[in-house]
Amino acid sequence: MQLMYAALKLELGDTLYYLLIFALLLILVGHFAWGPVSDMMEKRRQKVIDDLDHAESDRKKAELLANEREAALKDSKQEATQILSTAKSNAEKTKTQIISQADDEASAIRKKAAEDAKQAKADALNEARDQVADLSISIAEKLISKNLDEKDQKDLVDSFIKGLDD
Amino acid sequence: MGEKSVVVNLFGLNFNLTNCLGGTLVAVCTFILLYWLGHRATIKPSKKQNFIEYFIDFTNNIVKDNVEDKDAQKHLSLYAFTLFMFIFFMNQLGLFFEFSINDHILVKSPTANPMITMTMALMTLLLSYNYGVAKYGLKGYLGSYAKPVGFMLPINLIEEFTNFLTLSLRLYGNIYAGEVLLTLIGDRFAKSAGWITTIASIPLTLVWQGFSVFIGSIQAYVFVTLSMVYIGKKVTKE
Repeated sequence: MQLMYAALKLELGDTLYYLLIFALLLILVGHFAWGPVSDMMEKRRQKVIDDLDHAESDRKKAELLANEREAALKDSKQEATQILSTAKSNAEKTKTQIISQADDEASAIRKKAAEDAKQAKADALNEARDQVADLSISIAEKLISKNLDEKDQKDLVDSFIKGLDD
Repeated sequence: MGEKSVVVNLFGLNFNLTNCLGGTLVAVCTFILLYWLGHRATIKPSKKQNFIEYFIDFTNNIVKDNVEDKDAQKHLSLYAFTLFMFIFFMNQLGLFFEFSINDHILVKSPTANPMITMTMALMTLLLSYNYGVAKYGLKGYLGSYAKPVGFMLPINLIEEFTNFLTLSLRLYGNIYAGEVLLTLIGDRFAKSAGWITTIASIPLTLVWQGFSVFIGSIQAYVFVTLSMVYIGKKVTKE
């Protein structure tokens, strides 16, 4: 009967005790185990999110860079082509210039040579004329004695030669 | 069961020393284990940390599935985690550890006592009231008992009481039955017909202990889940 009575007694002390130890356990676990681990989990979650975002932006940056590089390459190719064509046209221009210059020079030289030749011919003719005149004078002097002075004889020969020319 | 509990009357309250001792033991062991597992948390988790994180995730998911309120979720996560660990280890305690002196049992599963499971259920119940009042105010909360229609009031009130009873008695019944059967196999059956039954009782005890570990885990899970369901119902408008 005593045992039955004991079993029927409400053990409210236990209730209080359990509420107390559970509250204590809650606080301690929250502070020493659950808290730090949860913080770490949250931190890790944040880190993963950050890393993913970073990776995304890095990828975009790399793509941009690659595009830029490609564009630069294309530009440089175009530039090279342009430079080449400019050089070609320049060379062409220079070539024609040189040729025309050479032509001009050659013609000038030819002209000068012709003039020189003409001059030389004229000079030679004049000289020859003089010499012929002198020669004829001396011949005439020898032939006709010394009646005529040198000037009269020269006039005579000149008119004679002019007559030859005509 | 012929074992008597040690009951002490203090300040007009009865303290069942068996329960107090068991609860303290479990609380201390739980704390030491969790502290050992989680006190050096790092971003790159160690194996210990993985272990405790698995359980935290597990109880967090129970909370998330049943409570939609974000503010409540944050606070309830810790409650659910601690409650799960505490009840789980209380369930397991009596399976491998029974300590008695002179027919007075000192340590067994505290959850095999309705007083303790009711304490746990009471805690959940009070917490659910707290969240309900915090969310809708006292008036709004009390008004929710008469919803969706006025004549639901008594049914809702009874439901409140049955929730409390089923929550606590389900846990108590499962663990108590497990302990009773263990005692029956170990004491009565083993000593009933000499050495044959003694030998036969060994595998039986083994099987039943294994099953009880399973039941203890399931019941801890069920208790936490239902706690969260009841609390979740209070903070969600229907």
